[in-house]
Amino acid sequence: MLFVKKIFLFFKRESKLFHNNIVDLLSNIIFFFLSIFVFVFALGTDEQLLRSIGLGIIWSLLLFSSTLSLRKFYEDDFNNGVLIIFHMSGISYEFIAFLKIISHFLFVQMPFLISLPIASIFFNLPIIEVYNLILTFIIGSLILSCLGSISASMNLLNKTNFSIGSILVLLFSIPLIIFSVGINEYENNFYSLFNLLLGIALIFLGISPWSSGAFIKLALKNK
Amino acid sequence: MLLVNNLSFYRNDILIFEDLNLSIGNGQITQIRGKNGSGKTTFLKVILNILDSKIGEIFWEGKNIKKNIFNFYNETTFIMDQNTSSRKLTVFDNINFWRGLSSSKLNDYDINLLLETFNLKKYKDTKVMYLSTGEVKKLELLRLILEKKKLWILDEPYNHLDDLSIEILNQTFIDHINKDGIILFASHFNPSIENLRVIDFN
Repeated sequence: MLFVKKIFLFFKRESKLFHNNIVDLLSNIIFFFLSIFVFVFALGTDEQLLRSIGLGIIWSLLLFSSTLSLRKFYEDDFNNGVLIIFHMSGISYEFIAFLKIISHFLFVQMPFLISLPIASIFFNLPIIEVYNLILTFIIGSLILSCLGSISASMNLLNKTNFSIGSILVLLFSIPLIIFSVGINEYENNFYSLFNLLLGIALIFLGISPWSSGAFIKLALKNK
Repeated sequence: MLLVNNLSFYRNDILIFEDLNLSIGNGQITQIRGKNGSGKTTFLKVILNILDSKIGEIFWEGKNIKKNIFNFYNETTFIMDQNTSSRKLTVFDNINFWRGLSSSKLNDYDINLLLETFNLKKYKDTKVMYLSTGEVKKLELLRLILEKKKLWILDEPYNHLDDLSIEILNQTFIDHINKDGIILFASHFNPSIENLRVIDFN
């Protein structure tokens, strides 16, 4: 019961921090929309062209937008020692990483869900593709949060070069893009591709708390 | 009782301290004093298993802390030299977070009394980022009373405090050791506390 209370307390604190940092979140969403505008203006008014490449562009921009907030994933809590205090209350660094992934998924990735139907209008996407986009985004964003956790915890060890973490996220998200965009092109294989995506999400949900926890411990030893 | 046996620590093959032995019994207060870079903070972090020492052992109540780390943490409050309060949350939000983590039994009335004692009551709903360095330090020290643990480990607790706050902190230390608590702290400051044992890291 006490453990559940601590988890509840963690999410309460995270929600307050995200509420206070709402400007950061808004700037990510604004970046996403402005990038879409840039693409739409650059490609012109060919509806067919926009429709055929729209999904790929939206996914690529979602990826870039979500890497913008990665720097703050662990940095504040690491620098002010909250990670240590939280660990000393009886929670392992691996579980802290797991909670951080869920909180990033809920408070950073989910607001993008609202912006997806609006972004789809600019590319004239058919409604079935919008549904698929939302569905794949729910799973894909969880994968992005997992990748973000690994990359951000790695960056605690190497504070001078943040781009290494972003490169890692972009590299590992290639399968995510392939399956998320491909799900619309191969409608007959919808369930097999969807299951593959779900499988990747579960693998990363298993791996990333463990690896992030190890990186956090290493970073604390080198602090 | 906290017992340290033949503890040595190397960082990047550089010796920080060697063959350190220490025992602190119930109702005792120990200060670690030493010049900058003498390894005071490192020593505290090794005791708390934040830094891993391959040589030597640490025992808490007769048990090796590495094998019973969460039991050890359950009875320990660690006040760091940096501030663990979140700058973008209010004073009360931070206190609520710490109170929940440590399952403190203090209610809102007790918290208000504590804030009044430390002269922080007027800042209860103010974000920590608007507080002065000394006030943030006092907020940090509130965790000692909030968590009510047996072992207090503090790194530079007197930094940024005014004379009145130093007096309150000394009295808090005395009250804790009178209740059979154990205190280990690293500081350059020389507090006037009776029976204070000093370990010189120079």
